[in-house]
Amino acid sequence: MALRKGSRSKLLAVFVLGMMLLFSVRLFQLQILQHDEYVQRSAAEQIRPLTIPAKRGLIYALDGSTPVPLVINQTVYTMFADPVMVTDPDKIVDVINRVAKDNLQPNPEALLSIKNSRYQILGKKLTRRQAEEIKKENLQGVGFQAVTERVYPEGKLAAQTLGFVNAEGLGQYGIEAQYNDALTGKDGLLKSVTDVSGVPLTIGNRNIHKPAKNGDTIVLTIDRNIQSYTEKALVRGLKKAGATNGSVIVIDPQSGKVMAMANFPTYDPANFGHVKSAAVYNNPIIDEPYEPGSDIKTFTVAVGIDKGVILPNSTYNNQDFIKVDDWVIRNATRGHTGNITMQTALNYSLNTGMVTIVERLGDGSHINLQARNTMYGYFHDRFGFGKLTGIELPNEQPGIVIPPTDVQGNAVRYSNMSFGQGMDLTMVQVASAFSTLVNGGVYYTPTIYGGLLHEDGTFMQAPVKQPKTGIITPKTSKLVHKMIHDARAKFYATEDKAGYDIGGKTGTSQTLENGRYVDNQTVATYLGYGGDTMPRYVIMVQASGKGLNLQGNLHALPIFTDISNWLIDYLKLQPKR
Amino acid sequence: MSYQTTQQLYSSRRRSSLSNTGSGATWNRNQNTVAFVSSMKLGPVAHTILVAMMVVVLGLVYLTQATRATSYDYEARDIDNRIAELTTKKSDLEVENARLTALEAVQKSKVAKAMVAPAATDYAR
Repeated sequence: MALRKGSRSKLLAVFVLGMMLLFSVRLFQLQILQHDEYVQRSAAEQIRPLTIPAKRGLIYALDGSTPVPLVINQTVYTMFADPVMVTDPDKIVDVINRVAKDNLQPNPEALLSIKNSRYQILGKKLTRRQAEEIKKENLQGVGFQAVTERVYPEGKLAAQTLGFVNAEGLGQYGIEAQYNDALTGKDGLLKSVTDVSGVPLTIGNRNIHKPAKNGDTIVLTIDRNIQSYTEKALVRGLKKAGATNGSVIVIDPQSGKVMAMANFPTYDPANFGHVKSAAVYNNPIIDEPYEPGSDIKTFTVAVGIDKGVILPNSTYNNQDFIKVDDWVIRNATRGHTGNITMQTALNYSLNTGMVTIVERLGDGSHINLQARNTMYGYFHDRFGFGKLTGIELPNEQPGIVIPPTDVQGNAVRYSNMSFGQGMDLTMVQVASAFSTLVNGGVYYTPTIYGGLLHEDGTFMQAPVKQPKTGIITPKTSKLVHKMIHDARAKFYATEDKAGYDIGGKTGTSQTLENGRYVDNQTVATYLGYGGDTMPRYVIMVQASGKGLNLQGNLHALPIFTDISNWLIDYLKLQPKR
Repeated sequence: MSYQTTQQLYSSRRRSSLSNTGSGATWNRNQNTVAFVSSMKLGPVAHTILVAMMVVVLGLVYLTQATRATSYDYEARDIDNRIAELTTKKSDLEVENARLTALEAVQKSKVAKAMVAPAATDYAR
């Protein structure tokens, strides 16, 4: 039937056509013009980005040549409750008391009665077994949150070397800070379409799966047995001396590897917040320069021999004092006056002998610029005093060695430096340089980074750092080596195991207060080596305390002797016959 | 659905060909000379229904496969959870092992306490 013009059917057709046109325009707007926006909205609802957390790398030490863990990770659980959802608070308290009493927060009944709160922590650091046992009870309104924490199987061992990880997951102090990036690894990413429960589904072509890269597992050069014995020997020695602070570093003079680094007081890295002062986190061996005292005389003697101005049996006239410009420098030990050898000067730690050596570096009677330049060239440029050693630990301090061109770098300063005053050095600097004196004149950069432990258990050792040869000649080293041995043997031979090559030098240094040396507070130091056919270890000990007069021979030397005699057995050194 | 029955069930092509051509054309060996014609004929409605059914079947096949893929996801999820659980257990055991082999634990062990220092040491060279 044909429609008449103006009929309702025609109007309807026009209306429908118009609506369709309207829909088409709207669809064009939604699907073409606003396509990207709606795709984004859709993705936001359907695709959920999930972070795959990387595991923080572990830290190992050595036991002989076998890596053993010092810092590992453990998953622990925080138990929480929603007081609104809790139906049987008595049962909850009863269960947690039975299963994890030590982890319980104080007064859990009160926590569960806070009905205007939806989250109350009932217990912390529960083990997986404890959490599973509690879960079996099907307690209404109780949940668990997994948390990874650092665990220290060896307790406080090498705490300042290790550092700790703070609540934000950042390494603080020690190796944790130095290698934070390597230990942290890199989180992975999973972007996936999920179902209503949040379970990732493989459907969709916009899924992204980037696996996490776990942090590196670092192996230190520290030997846990040497570290443990050193820490105990230090505590024993300090207690006997009545000292409150002390440090010991043990280095392999043939490689620069740090075998132990002990400090007292120390702290427990698992409870790093429970300390009286944050100063205990520091590692004085690398970050607390001090005037090391008379042990530096071994270096002055080495410079004199290397420059050809003295030999061990060279003599000088000792009057127990020597004048430098307007200052009079006196010996601490008196009575060995007259013509005496440099060996005697070293044995009795005579300041006059050392000042004489520096004078001979110049014109023979004055500590002139040439003498000061020579001494600075050895102390600073060759031995590395006043410079960062580059050991792989944070916050290392360079110390201070005043150059001769400085107005402060005058003759008096350099005369003081010859016997270990007037310059601030770290123990790691001194011990590393001392290795050079006894190992033939080779400087090894001190290192504490031993390498990486791969997931398959293989230990990849770090490449050896290029040593610096010719710091002093091998001939000089041989002579100084013997002088240091004789200096110890003169007084303390009976304390050492027979048949071994042990040597060392005491140091007792005044301390500065308000820019002036005080007499009622001294720091005791002992610097020595031990070995069989060659030096196998260098040990530097320091003991101090507020208002304490500590002597190198009385308070630091016994700690050296204790560690040295034990090391001989531990390293299985054979006596010379 | 409508259909009709044909009276002629088959027809010989040979005969019709011969009659059509009248030229006495020959047939090759094994060549069909009979064309069978179905007795059933489908109308447009039947075709529509068949197409619709095929679409439904294909749809079901697709849905089955898609559901199966999703069920694999849940299985994979369960396996992942199991792996995570076992990894945690392994980690716990490693921690336990480290604690038991720590110096402090070894030194306090009965074996260590029973040890004595050697009275003398000799060295083989």
